[in-house]
Amino acid sequence: MQSAEVLDRTFHALSDQTRRSMIHALAGGASRSAGDLGKQFGSAQPTISRHLKVLEQAKLIERSVEGRVHLFRLRQKPLQEAVAWIERHQRFWNGAVDQLETLLTRDTQ
Amino acid sequence: MKPGERAEVRRHLAVPPAQVFAAFANAEVVALWLTPAPEVKLTVLELDFREGGHYRFAYDTPEGQRMLVGGVYSKIEAPTRVEFSWLIEPPDVHAGIESQVTVSIAPSANGTDLLILHERFERADANARHAEGWAGALQQLQRLLLSARQ
Repeated sequence: MQSAEVLDRTFHALSDQTRRSMIHALAGGASRSAGDLGKQFGSAQPTISRHLKVLEQAKLIERSVEGRVHLFRLRQKPLQEAVAWIERHQRFWNGAVDQLETLLTRDTQ
Repeated sequence: MKPGERAEVRRHLAVPPAQVFAAFANAEVVALWLTPAPEVKLTVLELDFREGGHYRFAYDTPEGQRMLVGGVYSKIEAPTRVEFSWLIEPPDVHAGIESQVTVSIAPSANGTDLLILHERFERADANARHAEGWAGALQQLQRLLLSARQ
């Protein structure tokens, strides 16, 4: 698949509020079943399945099949790598500035 | 650089700007605070605090893991601004991701307003075709994911 086509699908996938909420629901990293997601969003199963298919085609989520249950999770890369970098450095600087404040305040007392 | 692709910390400190600036300039002082948590120990391997000068830090966790990071000071304006590159060394999962730290130190009514911006750049080894195609979508997703976790 050409990258422009993937990009079109990605933007299409993200253009819908329900699908964005589904990405939120999967952001913890755990796999969730279509039935589980359907309950959370109070939507009919065919509607949920259609949304999941759009997200899958945009390569934002991936599907695994265990027996009759289809499980979905957010694709690990490169998404999580990028998010992990930002979170790591946000934590780093929050912690460092905490310590800087302690150090400077202690020095002045 | 778009929002969501950077870490950002703002803090008011009840000390004068010169004192905050000095905390970045001196290796012995840097070693006392520039870590993500008190239990992570920083060893300053190199700190040549001048424009064009290099720094290199070693971080050791209680679990025995070591992170090496280094960079170059690109701008130093006492006592208001420090800019430096930030590159984690292999074998870290984030090795090779180029990034830039901008420290702004502004006087305020009763002390200093400190702003630290840490912006990341695209991976140098990213496939150019994909990098261009994915960048916009990834930025949107990063924002979504970050907001979901907060």
